[in-house]
Amino acid sequence: MEHFTNNTIDIAQLPRFEAVVFQKLQPDYLKVLIINRVIIFTILAVAIGLATYFIKEIITFVPIIWGGFTLFVILSLFVLRISFLKKGFAFREHDVLFKSGIIAINTIIIPYNRVQHVALHEGWLSRYFGLAQVEIFTAGGNSSDIEIPGIEKEQAEKIKQLLMGKIQQQL
Amino acid sequence: MEALFNQPQRQSKVGILVMFFYTLQKFARAFFPIILIFFFKSEKLNLFYVIPGILVSLLILGIFAYFSYLNFTFFIDEENNEFVINDGIFNKTKTAIQLDKIQQVNVNQSFIQKIIGVYALEVDTAGSAKKEGSIKAISHQLALALKSRLLENEKKIILDENAAPDPEIVLIEEPKPFIKIGLLTLLKIGITSNYLRSIGLLLLFYSTIQENLRNFSEKDYLDGSQFEDYFSKQSLLQGILTVGLVLIFIVLIVNIIRTVVKFYDFTISKQKGSLLLSFGLFNSKSTIIKPEKVQITTITRNFFQRKMDILEIKIQQATSGEVEAQKNITEIPGCNETEKNEILKLIFNTIPQKGVMMKPNWRRLVFSLFLGIVIPLSVYFGFGFYLEPLAFNYAFLAVGYTIFVATIVFFGYRNNRLFVNNDYIIIQSGAWDVDNRIIEIGKIQALSTSQLFWHKTPDIGSLTIHTAGGDVQFSLGNFTTIKQYVNLWLYDVETKNINWM
Repeated sequence: MEHFTNNTIDIAQLPRFEAVVFQKLQPDYLKVLIINRVIIFTILAVAIGLATYFIKEIITFVPIIWGGFTLFVILSLFVLRISFLKKGFAFREHDVLFKSGIIAINTIIIPYNRVQHVALHEGWLSRYFGLAQVEIFTAGGNSSDIEIPGIEKEQAEKIKQLLMGKIQQQL
Repeated sequence: MEALFNQPQRQSKVGILVMFFYTLQKFARAFFPIILIFFFKSEKLNLFYVIPGILVSLLILGIFAYFSYLNFTFFIDEENNEFVINDGIFNKTKTAIQLDKIQQVNVNQSFIQKIIGVYALEVDTAGSAKKEGSIKAISHQLALALKSRLLENEKKIILDENAAPDPEIVLIEEPKPFIKIGLLTLLKIGITSNYLRSIGLLLLFYSTIQENLRNFSEKDYLDGSQFEDYFSKQSLLQGILTVGLVLIFIVLIVNIIRTVVKFYDFTISKQKGSLLLSFGLFNSKSTIIKPEKVQITTITRNFFQRKMDILEIKIQQATSGEVEAQKNITEIPGCNETEKNEILKLIFNTIPQKGVMMKPNWRRLVFSLFLGIVIPLSVYFGFGFYLEPLAFNYAFLAVGYTIFVATIVFFGYRNNRLFVNNDYIIIQSGAWDVDNRIIEIGKIQALSTSQLFWHKTPDIGSLTIHTAGGDVQFSLGNFTTIKQYVNLWLYDVETKNINWM
C-alpha cells in the first residue's frame, strides 16, 4: 500500500488530442481515387453519348447536357482533392486518431484497449501503387470504426502489428 | 485428431463448389430482373446465342469461384495469438482477430452446404453488426477442432473465474423479488406515455381495415364522402376538434391496454448481483440484466409523470451478434424515485449524480427553428403563390403548425443538457418526454468530435460518445470544454483497464 498515491489530475496538463500533428495520406492514393473516378466518368460519358445519339428528342439540349457534365466532373474532382487533403491520421501511445471532412471537421479517437480487431484491405488499384487500407474495429458498431486508406503496404502491416501488440499488452 | 492451424490453409476442395453456388446465387439475385425482362421482352430468343452465353457466364463464375477458393486462407498465428483470414481476388482483405476477443464460434450448415457435405464456421466478436470472419466450406471434423482451438482461451478465463470466487456453496439462492409494479402504476404509465407508438399502431390498424374493406367490395366505403357531408354541416374547426377528442380518447385506451398486456405483473428480483425481470399478461417474458454489461441507462419522464412520481427506465446492454442488436434494450415501466434509486444502485453501486452542466449554444435553437418552421413554411407559401392559391384557405393550419413546432423545438432546446462528473456522463434531451441517458465513463468505446468550419470563431462543436450499446450525441456545445472532456475521458479509459462488458 505504500506506493499508493491518489493525486488530483490537472486537466490542463493532460495530453491534448487537438494538438496532435496528423499524418497525411500517401499522395499516390489521390491517383487511385482519381483513376477510380475517371473510370466512372468514362462510363457515364459513354452512356450520355449513346443517349444523345439515339434519342432524337433531346438533340437541342446536347450542349447543356455536356456543359453540365463537364461542370460536374470538374467540381467532383475538386471536392475529391480537398477531401483527400483534409484526411489525416495519428497513432499516439494509447490511442489512434482519424480526421476527415470538408464542411465539418470530424475527429474520431479510439483507445487501443477498446480495439476489437483489425483488417487490412488492398484494392486492385491500390495494390498497383503499393497501398493498403487499415480498418480498426471497436465494439461500438459501425459508426465507431476507423478506416485509414492510402497507407504504404509495409507501413500498414506495421500498424496492424503495432495494434495487435497493443491489444495484447492490455490483456 | 490434433489438427494444426498454424500454417495458412485453404478450405476443403469441394469448397470451390460452395463458392460457385454462392456466387451464382448472388449473381442470380442481382440480375434477376434483367434476366426476366430479357426473357419476356425478346420473343424470338435465339437458342444458338442463349445457350453458349449461359455456358460462358457459368464458366466465368467457375473461374471466379476457383480463384476465390485459392485466395482464401486462414490460420492461427501462435506468436501474436490471433486468428487470420485472407480473402479476395482483386481487392484483398486480411482480417486479424485476437483470440481473446472471440465471443462466439458458430458451426452452421446451409442447404447448399448440406448437399455438398461441408460446414460453415463463423467467428463473432463483440460489437459490430457484420460477422467478423466466416469460412464457407470446412469439414465437420476440422470445424470442431478449429472451434475448440479458437475458444481455448475463453475456457481458461471461465475456469479462472470459477476458481476464484468464494468456495462456499451458496450459488443456488432463491431470487428475492424487491420491486413489483402494480396495476395502478401501469395505468398511470398507460395514460402518460408512448402516444406516438399508439398512434402509429392505430394508423396501421386503420390502413389494414381499409384495405380489407376495399378487397371486400368494389365500392370504397371510406372514400371521404361521409366526412364531407359531416363537415359541410358543421364548421371545419369544430369538426377537427371532435375528431381530435375522439382520437385522443382512442389513443389513451389503446395505450392502457397495450401497457397492461405487455407489462402485467412486472417483477424485479436480484440474483447473484444481476437483475431478473419478468412480466407479461398472456406470454410472460423474463430477462436478465448483468450490471457489467449495461452500457446506457435511460431514465424518461414527462410533465404528467413528474407530477405522479413515476418514471420509465430503459437499459441498453452490450450486444454481441447481429440478431440481438435491436432486442437488447430492456424497459422497466413505472417506478418511483426510491425504486429508481434502488435499481441504479444495483447497476452502478452508487446513484450517478448530475455533475457540471453544459448548455447547447443558441445557434442550436435557431437552426432547429429554421429546419422545422422556415423551410416548411416557405414551401407552403411558394406552393400557395405560384401553384394553388386555394392553399391559403387553410392558413390556420399553418399557424397551428408553427406554434406547435416552435413549442416543441423550444422545449427540446431548453431540456438539452450535458452533465459530467468524475465517473458518469448524463445527457438530458427531449421536448415532452425528457430522457436522461447515463453513461459510465469506463464504458466508452470511442469518441468523436465534429465542428463546422464557420463554428470555429464562436468556438462551438459537437460530441459523439460511442459505446457498445449505441451512440449518444451532444450538439453545439462549447468546443473548448468538449475537447477538455475528451482528453480527460481518454485519460480515464486509457489508464484504467475496466471490464466494459
